[in-house]
Amino acid sequence: MSGSCIEVVDLQKHYPTRMGLRRIRAVEGISFSLRNGDILGFLGPNGAGKTTTIKCILGLLRPTSGSVRLWGEPPAAAKVRQRIGFVPENPTYESCFTPLEFLRTFSEMRGLDQGSDFMLGLLGRVGLSGWETTRIDRFSKGMRQRLSLALALQSQPDVLVLDEPTGGLDPLARKEFRDIILEESRRGAAVFLSSHLLSEVEAICDRAVILSQGRKVSEGSMEELLRKKSPYTIRFSLPGSTPVEKRLEGGESELQKEIDSIRRRDGTILAVERTGRSLEEVFLEVTGEER
Amino acid sequence: MRAVWAFARMTVRSLLRRRTVWGILIVVLLGLIAIGHVPSFNVQTEGRFVLEFGLFGLEIGALLMALGLAVNLYPRDRESGTILPLVAVPISRGQYLMGRFLGSALVQIVALLVGCVGLMVILILNDLSIPSTLLPGTLLLLVEGLFLLAVVFFFSFWTSPPLNVPLTLALFVLAQMSVREFVGLFPQAPSLMRLLRLLLPHMDVFHVKDPIAHGESVPLLYFLLACLYGLAYTSFMLSVALAVFRERDL
Repeated sequence: MSGSCIEVVDLQKHYPTRMGLRRIRAVEGISFSLRNGDILGFLGPNGAGKTTTIKCILGLLRPTSGSVRLWGEPPAAAKVRQRIGFVPENPTYESCFTPLEFLRTFSEMRGLDQGSDFMLGLLGRVGLSGWETTRIDRFSKGMRQRLSLALALQSQPDVLVLDEPTGGLDPLARKEFRDIILEESRRGAAVFLSSHLLSEVEAICDRAVILSQGRKVSEGSMEELLRKKSPYTIRFSLPGSTPVEKRLEGGESELQKEIDSIRRRDGTILAVERTGRSLEEVFLEVTGEER
Repeated sequence: MRAVWAFARMTVRSLLRRRTVWGILIVVLLGLIAIGHVPSFNVQTEGRFVLEFGLFGLEIGALLMALGLAVNLYPRDRESGTILPLVAVPISRGQYLMGRFLGSALVQIVALLVGCVGLMVILILNDLSIPSTLLPGTLLLLVEGLFLLAVVFFFSFWTSPPLNVPLTLALFVLAQMSVREFVGLFPQAPSLMRLLRLLLPHMDVFHVKDPIAHGESVPLLYFLLACLYGLAYTSFMLSVALAVFRERDL
């Protein structure tokens, strides 16, 4: 599949303070797109503007300027909403309902005709088998998140927007969530995943956008991000001395300078290696620079 | 419309779990029972007394019920975050408003009908006749209740609940006033006050308790026009509420 399902162009969102005298710049000129079938990681420290951006994408917030388009339409358009599944950060639901009742009501609200078998299967898929008729007020946070995922998957959406979907889940549940996300991606759905768990994003995302203080500080495929500014290690020997290994943090320009320096001293370059880095290291570096 | 009904049913169910709603209904019923037991000055005026105060009780019940049902509905949804998964995906803001309004309206209608039946029982227990205008009179109170509900929804989208209550009560009081009484509030600017009164709803059209209590007939056309007026004003208030809600950040 090709083309973008989400297109965010120069998005800005400013909130007035309580007295309206100042404005908080939550998001400052962010642009990115989510291609059909991709899994995009959306990263940033607390207060970076991730949830604000997600709310703009879902039409819950009105951008101060810039535009958000889903399949070329504004986010509030009915035909757009039908194609989206959303898992909020801290899902809260009317507590007097059971998961099955919720799925039925949501199915009606979406105009879907789904039988009980489909709904029971869906609840089983997210790990809520045996809890179908238990009231939600007895659910733990993790169980609410599972229900939230079931509601998001109910319409077999073309885009899944997940805002910290695995926060508060145990490692086993996180693995199950990851597997479902990958299954959905294989089905052809695009996934927009905001998460603090960098290892999770690194494991499943094709691309990532990193925010800091409301601005985009890095974007690219996972491979590009992990290679970006990654250090070189050069092994060389100078006449009359034992081989030396040196780590160069400054990228290609520093490497070139070092090679020139070794050659001027009649040294021999034994090996040049690029050291791989984790997403966490990249994240800390790019968000640290911004601060 | 299917989405609105599904959401309205969900609203009814969650409203019926609220103690406030049951509390108001019980208070109104207790008030009606008390009216039935208050001794009147003479036998001739007893029926009039029960009817007049009974209908007044129902009207106050409609006001309290509108506030009890709707004043916290949207603020609570927003604060708890229950609105996010709803408005983000399955329903639009218009469907949210209509679902919440219809759900509250259904509870309001049932509560008022229960009150009306309660009043009838009290009339029967006091060996008093039930006037034929009682049901149409209650219907007008229902329309007034719907209008008040729309007012509470309208205020709830741009004020907090502690402000919503006095604003609704103020509107309720001002909308009962005649033009002369209203101009009397600020006699220095009579033209402005007349204009303001023209813009404010005329809720006095819903009050037919005096003719009902005095056994006078009320023309059917009057009931129909008053209902139409109330429903038109309710639709107007809901449209303005939706316009405000559409601009709100969630």
